[in-house]
Amino acid sequence: MGLLQKYYKQSATYKIFTGVYETLYDFLDTLGKITENGLAVAKCILKGQIDKKELIEQCSRFGVSSLPITLSIVAMTSVIIASQVALEMVKQGGGNFIGMMMTILIVRELAVIMAGFAIISMIGSSLASEIATMRVTEQIDAIRVLKVNPIANLFVPRVLSGMIMMPFVTIIAAVVGILAGAVTSDMFAGLSYMAYFDSAWLGVYMKDLWVSILKAVCFGGTIGLISCSCGYYASGGAKGVGLATTKAVVWSFVAIVIWDMVFALIFFF
Amino acid sequence: MSIEVKNLVKKFGDKTVIDNVSFKVNDKETLAIVGFSGSGKSTILKLISGLIEKDGGEIITSKGDIAMVFQYSALFDSLNVEDNISFALRERRDLRKKFTPEQIRDIVAQKLELVGLKGIEEKFPSELSGGMQKRVSFARAIVTEPNTILYDEPTAGLDPISSTLIEDYIVRLKDEINAASIVVTHQMSTITRTADRVIMLYDGRIVFEGTAEELLRQETPYTKQFVTASLEGPMQMQA
Repeated sequence: MGLLQKYYKQSATYKIFTGVYETLYDFLDTLGKITENGLAVAKCILKGQIDKKELIEQCSRFGVSSLPITLSIVAMTSVIIASQVALEMVKQGGGNFIGMMMTILIVRELAVIMAGFAIISMIGSSLASEIATMRVTEQIDAIRVLKVNPIANLFVPRVLSGMIMMPFVTIIAAVVGILAGAVTSDMFAGLSYMAYFDSAWLGVYMKDLWVSILKAVCFGGTIGLISCSCGYYASGGAKGVGLATTKAVVWSFVAIVIWDMVFALIFFF
Repeated sequence: MSIEVKNLVKKFGDKTVIDNVSFKVNDKETLAIVGFSGSGKSTILKLISGLIEKDGGEIITSKGDIAMVFQYSALFDSLNVEDNISFALRERRDLRKKFTPEQIRDIVAQKLELVGLKGIEEKFPSELSGGMQKRVSFARAIVTEPNTILYDEPTAGLDPISSTLIEDYIVRLKDEINAASIVVTHQMSTITRTADRVIMLYDGRIVFEGTAEELLRQETPYTKQFVTASLEGPMQMQA
C-alpha cells in the first residue's frame, strides 16, 4: 500500500490534480481575503474612521504622481488609433465621424481602462510592495500591538484615495485623449479641428460620462483594495514582497477587466 | 498578578509548537524565556500580544496595555522618530482626542529622555544605529504606559556595550513604569542582568523554571547544556 501510494504521488496525474487544487485554493483564499478586507474597509468608512492627513497624502500619490504616465499612455493610444483609422475613414467618406468615433471610444473605454492599467503598474505595485515590506519587517505587527486598526490606518486612505482620484485622472485623460485624436486626425488625414469637434459630441451622452466616472470609482477602489490586501498577507522576506507585488498587479488587471465587462453588460447591452 | 498563562497550546499545522505551557508574571517582575531557536519563545510573545490565536489554554492579563519591543525594532521607516513614538497617541481611537499636539510633543521628548536619546525627534529610523533604533522602539512601546512589556530578543545583533545599555534600560523601564516584563533571549548577559525568574523552553514545553542563579548552577541536564552551549545533552537541534 505504502509503495503504491509512493508511486501514485510521483505520477503526473497526482501532480496535475495537486497543482490544480493548490491554484484553486490560493484563488479562493485570496478572493476571500480581499472580500473580507473590502467589508472591513467599508465598515471603517461608514464609522468615519478616516485619517484625513493620510488620505490627502495618498490622494496626491494616486492622482498627481500617476497623472504624467496616465496622460502619456492615453494620448499615445489615441494617436495610434487615430493614425490608423482617420485616413481610411476620410477615404470612405466618413471623415466627419472620426471625432465621434474617437470620443465614444475614449470616454466609454480607453481613458478609464488605460488609466487603470497605468495606475496598477505605477501605484498598485508600489502600494503592494510598501505594505508587503511593512508586513515582513513586522511593522504591521507593531501597528496591531499598539492597538491601532491596520485596516483603518493602511487600507482606508489608500482605497478611498483610489476612489476619489481615479475619476479625476480619467476625466483629464479623456480630454487629453480627445485632443490627441484631433491633432493626429489633422496631421494624418487633413481633417480640420472644426470637423473633428463638430462630430465629437454626437455619439456621447451624459450616461457615458457618468458610467465612466462610476467605473473609475470602482477601478480605483479595487486597485487600492487588491494591492493593499496582497501586500498585507505577504510572507517570506524579499521573495514574499516580490510575489505579493506580482499578485497585486495580476489580480488588479484581471479585476478591472471583469469590472469593465460587468459595466458593459449592465449599461450598454 | 500582571499576566498568567495557563496550559497554553499552539499548533502550526500538525506540529505543536507550544505544548501545555503555564507560567505567571507578577507586577514589577521580569521573566526571561530562554531556549534554542525554534523552541517556541517568540510564539509565546505573539500569543500574549494577540498577534496570533492560541489553540488551547488561557492567557489572563490584568487591565492595561501590553507593549512589545520587536527583535528588529519594527520602527515605521516612513515616519520620523517623533511620529514613530507618538503613533499610538495619534492613531488609536481611544487616545486620539486625549492629547493636544503640544502634549504629544512633550510626551515624546519625555520618553526619548527616558531611553537616553534627546533631540532626535526629526531623524528617520534609517539614520539611526541598531542600538538607537532599539531604544526608540522602547520609547514607542512605553508611550501608552503599559503594564506589561514584551521584549523579543532585545539584544540580538548588538555589540556587547550596546547590549549592556539595552539591558540597563530594560531594568530602568520596569522600575520607572512599574511594568511586568517578559524577555525572550538567548544571551546570558541579558538573562543575568535583567531577569528575576527564568523559564527554559524545549520542544514547546517548559524544561526549567527558576532564578538566573539557579540556571547558572547547571543542576539539570537542560540547564547544563544551555549554559555550556554544548551539543551533547537532552536538547537536540533539528538538522
